[in-house]
Amino acid sequence: MSEKKLIIKTENLKKDYKEDGVVVHAIRGIDLTVEEGEFSAIVGPSGCGKTTLLNLISGLDTPDEGKVWLSGKLISDMSGKELSDFRRDNIGFIFQAYNLIPVLTVEENIEYIMLLQGVPKEERHKRVLEILDAVKLSGLENRRPTQLSGGQQQRVAIARAMVSNPKIILADEPTANLDSKTGSELLDMMAELNEKTGMTFLFSTHDKMVMERAKRVIVLKDGQIIDKSEIDIV
Amino acid sequence: MLLLKMAFRNIFRQRRRTIFTSITIIFGVALAAFSIGWADGTYNNIINLFTKGWLGHIQIHYKDCLDKPSLYKTIENYNQIGEKIGKIKGVESWTPRIFSAGLASLKDKTSGVRIIGIDPLREDQTTSFHKKIVKGNYFKDGVKNQVLLGKGLANILHAKIGDKIVLVSQGADGSIANDFFKVVGFVSTDDEMYDRNSFYIPLKDTQEFLSLGNNVHEIAVTVKNVKKVKEISKKIAEIVHNPDLTVSPWQEFAKDFYKAMKADKGGMWISLFVIILVVAVGVLNTVLMAVLERLREYGLLKALGTRPKDIILLVLYETNIIAFFSIIIGSLIALAVNYYFSIHGIHLSQSFTYGGMNFSEIMTEINLRSFTIPAVTVLLTASIVGFFPALKAAKTDPVKSLRFH
Repeated sequence: MSEKKLIIKTENLKKDYKEDGVVVHAIRGIDLTVEEGEFSAIVGPSGCGKTTLLNLISGLDTPDEGKVWLSGKLISDMSGKELSDFRRDNIGFIFQAYNLIPVLTVEENIEYIMLLQGVPKEERHKRVLEILDAVKLSGLENRRPTQLSGGQQQRVAIARAMVSNPKIILADEPTANLDSKTGSELLDMMAELNEKTGMTFLFSTHDKMVMERAKRVIVLKDGQIIDKSEIDIV
Repeated sequence: MLLLKMAFRNIFRQRRRTIFTSITIIFGVALAAFSIGWADGTYNNIINLFTKGWLGHIQIHYKDCLDKPSLYKTIENYNQIGEKIGKIKGVESWTPRIFSAGLASLKDKTSGVRIIGIDPLREDQTTSFHKKIVKGNYFKDGVKNQVLLGKGLANILHAKIGDKIVLVSQGADGSIANDFFKVVGFVSTDDEMYDRNSFYIPLKDTQEFLSLGNNVHEIAVTVKNVKKVKEISKKIAEIVHNPDLTVSPWQEFAKDFYKAMKADKGGMWISLFVIILVVAVGVLNTVLMAVLERLREYGLLKALGTRPKDIILLVLYETNIIAFFSIIIGSLIALAVNYYFSIHGIHLSQSFTYGGMNFSEIMTEINLRSFTIPAVTVLLTASIVGFFPALKAAKTDPVKSLRFH
């Protein structure tokens, strides 16, 4: 059996926030490794630091202490421009509130990152149609986000995150705004895409459905991973 | 391209606010363009009336004759000089003049006069002097010793058309010059002081009366385009090439008038500044509101890998698209208004005096600068004003904006 490569590695990651003059220790020395192709979930109660950890892993936020490697690159030391380009080319984001650009059509939203990457128009269009088919939204490419249901919007967000073939998809509470049926369908779809493409998925969630489908659950409490033995649901 | 598309679509997200901003810019541009067109039209009218009425656009004198006039400071061979001037491109016409002082008497009335010798034909081609004859006729050809009196002088002397006035002066040869002159008409120039002592006689009679030979004191020149007056003055000086002669554009020989006009123009720039300030505040308000409302979106764009410079561009595109279309509409409105008033004029309920001349109607002018100045200023202002909210948008922290907005 071939050994899988590490895609995420954090070392003694720490992050504090000041809220109303009070220092909140959001992340307190996290050492985490995620292998390529994993379908994992960071779980824990509200305020335990799940989103902060995802932000630190993605480079959206900078740690006060510690280091983050993504795909072997030390991103915690990268400059703003370098990090912005790295994030664009290697990470796909799925947010709780879908976060589509309201003035762009479905197709334009999905191709946005490819446009930043300088992918030619024909190639962009081809890939958009392929990914729309994969997320079962074929024919809706000219709709605006406001003309879609919540589930459809989240599918577009998934398509946007995956279309440029990033190494990792970071999904922050992706099912929180969806009803259980739609959430379940979307999770099945993401699990299928994970199987097909081998793309790494890392969720932050407190949704039971996500935990049930995740192959690995990382439990976070008060900014620390509390169970290092990792619960193997499978 | 996508940024431009996003900017266009963003503009229509808050239609009411966009329309309000556009109206502010349209109004500002139209008002500024109209103000400049009006000011330029007014000044050009004034300059034309002032210069074409009598003074001419350019004057040629013997050295300092303009500042220290003297009977003896004359221009020789004025005809040759005039012919050379007439051939210069841009020169419309020229006319010679003589000035001296004398004493005019009619019956028991006597008054000091300013003798003005004019070439009837050339004066008629060069200035609108003949239009100032309010009673009687212009000089008739071949009739000797005719005089046109300033209206005020005619009143002082109680002169009537056909009266013969005795004029006494000193000739250039030191002799006493005296002769009879028959009144053929009265002249009103709107300058009462001037009209109270003006005694116009044909040039040949004046030369003979003052024993000046073929000399004159002044050559007045008019040009086709008043904006090229300085350039043509230089050409005249080069072509005449006589160190004894001074060529002065109207800005020099009518210094006081020119200074007053420049001061007035300064006022116009202050008005323009106020208009632009109002536009700037309007634009700033709109862009800032739009940016603050969309911080989450800017955070998202950054999270997706959009560079800050592209976010700045996005905001500036939005600002400049609104400004661009508003400028076009504002300019078209100003063009229509300026065109109308350039033909029909603006009738003033109360006339005003400027440079000794009365104005009761103002014509606007359609020129390129009345549109380019507001357009460029507003576009620049919009960019400058829009830059600060754009910078704020570009600096959005994706973590904070996605969490809190």
